[in-house]
Amino acid sequence: MAGTFRFLEEIALADLAFEAEGETVEEVFRGATQAVLESLANPATVSGGWERAIERTDADHLALLFDWLSDIVFWKDAAGVVYREAPLTLTREGNVWLLRARLIGARVDQRTQELHADVKGVTKHLYEFKQTGACWKVRIVLDV
Amino acid sequence: MKLNTAMTVNRITDEIWEIPLSEKSGMLVPARIYATEGILQSMDSGVFDQVTNVACLPGIRRYALCMPDGHWGYGFPIGGVAAFDVQDGIISPGGVGYDINCGMRLIRTDLTLADVQPRLERLMTELFRKVPAGVGASGFVRLSREEFGRVMTHGARWCVERGYGWHRDLLRMEEGGCIEGADPSIVTDHAIQRGINQLGTLGSGNHYLEVQVVSNERIFDPVTAAALGITGHEQIVVMVHCGSRGFGHQVASDYLHVFEKAMRPYGITVKDQQLACAPFRSPEGQDYFSAMNCAANTAFANRQVITHQIREAFGTVFGQSAESLGMELVYDVAHNIAKVERYAEGELVVHRKGATRAFGPGSPELPEMFRQIGQPVICGGSMETGSYLLVGTDQAVRDTFGSTMHGAGRTMSRTQAKRTFRGEHLQQQMKQHGILVKAVSMSGLAEEAGLAYKNISEVVESVDRAGITKKVAELRPIGNIKG
Repeated sequence: MAGTFRFLEEIALADLAFEAEGETVEEVFRGATQAVLESLANPATVSGGWERAIERTDADHLALLFDWLSDIVFWKDAAGVVYREAPLTLTREGNVWLLRARLIGARVDQRTQELHADVKGVTKHLYEFKQTGACWKVRIVLDV
Repeated sequence: MKLNTAMTVNRITDEIWEIPLSEKSGMLVPARIYATEGILQSMDSGVFDQVTNVACLPGIRRYALCMPDGHWGYGFPIGGVAAFDVQDGIISPGGVGYDINCGMRLIRTDLTLADVQPRLERLMTELFRKVPAGVGASGFVRLSREEFGRVMTHGARWCVERGYGWHRDLLRMEEGGCIEGADPSIVTDHAIQRGINQLGTLGSGNHYLEVQVVSNERIFDPVTAAALGITGHEQIVVMVHCGSRGFGHQVASDYLHVFEKAMRPYGITVKDQQLACAPFRSPEGQDYFSAMNCAANTAFANRQVITHQIREAFGTVFGQSAESLGMELVYDVAHNIAKVERYAEGELVVHRKGATRAFGPGSPELPEMFRQIGQPVICGGSMETGSYLLVGTDQAVRDTFGSTMHGAGRTMSRTQAKRTFRGEHLQQQMKQHGILVKAVSMSGLAEEAGLAYKNISEVVESVDRAGITKKVAELRPIGNIKG
């Protein structure tokens, strides 16, 4: 299942805020990942060709999500890429969360890709990860 | 008066408002906001909450300040200024901003609107080609890690040594374009990887390169304007707004992480996690200060390489050298930085986040050429309205730790602006108004619509009337490049 997300209008005047949700923590990770990908570029206009596998563990799912989303921003600059997709799985072994993900994209090409904001980083401002009934939700502000 | 806060806000003058200590537990000094009544009423609730959070930080002196272009930020509000004692005060990445040494640069020319108008399309195309902008853009300067280290320590000086500028450019930059005390050895590998290919790139968001016109009737102080090379008569100038790109952001993020952990051993608590800080004299505080200076120097170098590219583009389009076109630097000034400066209270770490240094004519720190007129201050407005050249005052040094506004300040979120405006339509509309826009991202263009910002003229009036900066000239856009 994919999580969903929506950009928020009422906060972060100069930046980009979004809320992602899902029935599981893994779905929230997927929704938040998609929000960051779409903040950078329209994934449908990005081909493949560049790929990187990322594996991270953390006992704290908040810290794990923050670091993973920061990885996406980092590789955008370090490799000069935007992304088509980022499939991931999130499992829990004992007290530790294990994230296995792949970043798939291509080098930035202004002629063929619909580019959006040059996100500079993930922030902890108003960062919130909570469960309400059967729904998990995260709020994140991206610095642009 | 209806404000977006329940706090008591007392009028000190028509342009200065004070939130007393009683309004939040833990405030060590009052908070002061510089704004006209109209601007104060339009400020979002975050400004009041955040400036009073800043007033609670250890070692703060006199006031926590917010300039009239203030709005919600991370930790500090944008437009925030605060000074902390070097002995018992702190340093906080949240008081500098993620884009370390984001700043403004203005370049004059001898060209007039009549010279440029017929070639404007070609000029903007050439500038768009030479100055990479937008997501993931990389610059033409290829650097080894060792050489990137020299950029971190030497800033704009490195550029001039490599032929990307003129020696006299350095005299017209805050700190001569190179801040001492930068130590590349404490910058993370992550930050280096993010920044090494980005020298000479504009970025996106509110960063831009703008070709502007100065008309006689929009020069408010002809003597000072002339001293800065601004002569009017539909003169063409070029403004650049950008910073340290991904490199600076990574430095800020890395040290926020360090400071989050460091606060407990030092017994520091903050009202907002994004105000994470450490004592200035602590190892963590000194490391951040050094790393921040690396990013600040990289930003000076970034704007210098962009200046080189601008000069090349003008040279190509007008078939003359940049020198013969009179393309001298007017000034380069930071608006996201922390610096040690001396005031009546002694040595203070002055944090300016979305605020500009504005030293007056009497300041010994200024080079000789600015001792009579004060330090130039460059304030960017929205791409549809205009920008201002101002000068600092001795009153700013007395009242606001030598600080003033930096730009128009947003009133509408990016997401709301994208829903309200369409980039293509805006581009067309601006063309009809005589402003040619080249943009990498149409959604990014929509985010920067003029109506998403405060009226910069009213913001400038606030600081002019408050006496912390004086208006010199208004600059009208005719061409804009956005990421």
